[in-house]
Amino acid sequence: MLSKLATIQLEQRLSKLIEQCSAVDAAVVATLDGYTCAMKQRSQQYPLERLATMGSTLMSLGDTITAELRLGTCDNIISENKNGIVAFMHIDDNLVLITLTTQKNALGMLLSHSRRCAEELKKVIA
Amino acid sequence: MRKNQIKLVFTGNMGAGKTTAIASISEIPVINTDVLMSSGANTDKERTTVAMDYGELTLGSGEKLFLYGTPGQQRFDYMWQILIQGGLGLIILIDNSGSDPIGDLARYLDSFHDFIQETGAVIGITHTDNAPRPDLQMYYHYLQERGLQLPVFPIDARSRESVVMLIQALLAILEYG
Repeated sequence: MLSKLATIQLEQRLSKLIEQCSAVDAAVVATLDGYTCAMKQRSQQYPLERLATMGSTLMSLGDTITAELRLGTCDNIISENKNGIVAFMHIDDNLVLITLTTQKNALGMLLSHSRRCAEELKKVIA
Repeated sequence: MRKNQIKLVFTGNMGAGKTTAIASISEIPVINTDVLMSSGANTDKERTTVAMDYGELTLGSGEKLFLYGTPGQQRFDYMWQILIQGGLGLIILIDNSGSDPIGDLARYLDSFHDFIQETGAVIGITHTDNAPRPDLQMYYHYLQERGLQLPVFPIDARSRESVVMLIQALLAILEYG
């Protein structure tokens, strides 16, 4: 489990992500076995703990599929939907970052900001 | 699903041996989604399934079994409903060394109630070597109280013979009722 200090730092970085990228509506850091480590959202409208659990399932399936196909590690999983986009990406071997936007044309922004955030989160927990 | 192709689903509580049971009979390398347990989980187990296990077994009669294992933890129950789609039968594994094995069985009977009514199920009790109680009679008594007639076997999930016996019992139920 992460230290209290590391958890606070994760939450601060998620807050920064939401401040810096207007497209991001919610962000969660979860363990690969589905526990929530930190979460932030603009308004309390999404069940982020449930999203954390589902994110771990999806990320693990992504890892399994890419390993089966010998395509290397799974970097991102993107779910493009009628009313928004959800991106799932590894922070490291044990943690996953899940970000969500309700703007359908914001995939590039979502991915670039989320990737940078994931890299910084990795340094926080190193 | 084609003729001679049967999808079976293994479910049961964490640590009951679902991944092990599928691995012990599958003729292909098992596809699994086991990940390291974080310390957020209150267990000594090192790894847990977060999406599914998958294996295959061809029977002597030529029937091909597609074997799916669900995650054990209730947090992943959305996968349970996904994985039973198209399934023809359910194998419930219960870890007898848990704190409340019959309560665990009740949870799975409740969660998969409709699926069991539509198809069939068998129950395998694991870890009976170091946890002999509740015994089979207690399980049968509980099932009787619920008005269910399902076979219960003590099994070793590491033993191919043991798991195959469970599957044969399930196939007999599906064929003859």
